[in-house]
Amino acid sequence: MTNISLKNIFLVFLKIGSFSFGGVYSMLTFFERELVEKRKWITNEEFIESVALGQMTPGPPIVNTGICIGYKLKKIKGALITTVGQAFTGTVLAILLAIFYTKSKDNPLLGSIMKGVGAAVVGLLLSIIYKMAGKTIKDYKTALFALSAFFALALFKLNPIGLILAAGILGLIVYGRRAR
Amino acid sequence: MILLKFCWILIIVNALTIGGGFVMLPMLQREFVEKYHWLTNQEFVDAIAMGQITPGPLTVMNAFIGYKIYGLTGAIVAMISTYLPCIIIVTIVAKYYYDYKESVIVNSSFRGIKPAVIGLLAAVAISLGKTSLVDPKTFGIAIISFAVIAFTKIDPTFIIIGAGIIGALFL
Repeated sequence: MTNISLKNIFLVFLKIGSFSFGGVYSMLTFFERELVEKRKWITNEEFIESVALGQMTPGPPIVNTGICIGYKLKKIKGALITTVGQAFTGTVLAILLAIFYTKSKDNPLLGSIMKGVGAAVVGLLLSIIYKMAGKTIKDYKTALFALSAFFALALFKLNPIGLILAAGILGLIVYGRRAR
Repeated sequence: MILLKFCWILIIVNALTIGGGFVMLPMLQREFVEKYHWLTNQEFVDAIAMGQITPGPLTVMNAFIGYKIYGLTGAIVAMISTYLPCIIIVTIVAKYYYDYKESVIVNSSFRGIKPAVIGLLAAVAISLGKTSLVDPKTFGIAIISFAVIAFTKIDPTFIIIGAGIIGALFL
């Protein structure tokens, strides 16, 4: 078991944040190997609890899982340091890309590259919708929630923040009573 | 003033991002593109791509957007407003984990939000598709990227980069 200092926590999460791309599950495996198996900072049970908590709270699930683990290790300081560690590399790269992007905005080659990339992003969004729908839309009620939200935004241009709040309140009305 | 508004929008949006980073997209598009015109639809699509090709969470795209709107300060403010709500909420929930997990209010409202978010994302995909899918070639790229990401285990990062190379060569 390596020493649990803020510096070490930062370094582990920096590593996690720097070498993980897109996929949630590959990242979780990485977490498990680094924190549970190699360093034994948390038990497998604590890890599973942190993953569950990351998925039940608002914000990116992986970051939230990290915050939860950081909080278990070193309270609020740990929570802060895991977030900084996880976001550090990506943020620096995003800023560098933004500098490059604003400077070469009128470059025709960048225009062609982003045309291809933009099309792939639409495909990516569709695949996310497809995967989420497979997990979430199970009966006519969930389908109704999804369809109403779709039409409220696509046709009536209602505000998505308001729509998410409304969906939460409707969820409470529809599912709240039965759960008791 | 812009910076303050930007910061406030990110805090609200992240506090409502229930079910993964992509959930913030419909809210961000409405506020940044349609309401305040800080970004064009094209730039918004580009920001999503940047969030995807950089390591770490998709939310890193907010640093990209922050830089576009307000330079380096914008990028830093973006990251603070993105993660602060998460840190506050998660540390509170971690303390009361078992009460929270069993909470009827949390569970039933999330049960409503999760399917609704799919509908919102679908509407956003259509709106972004109108900007990005302009000819048969871009349609083809979108269909292939959908199929590869949905049905194989290949990391989306490679698809985005591959599409960029195809764009450089053929578009």
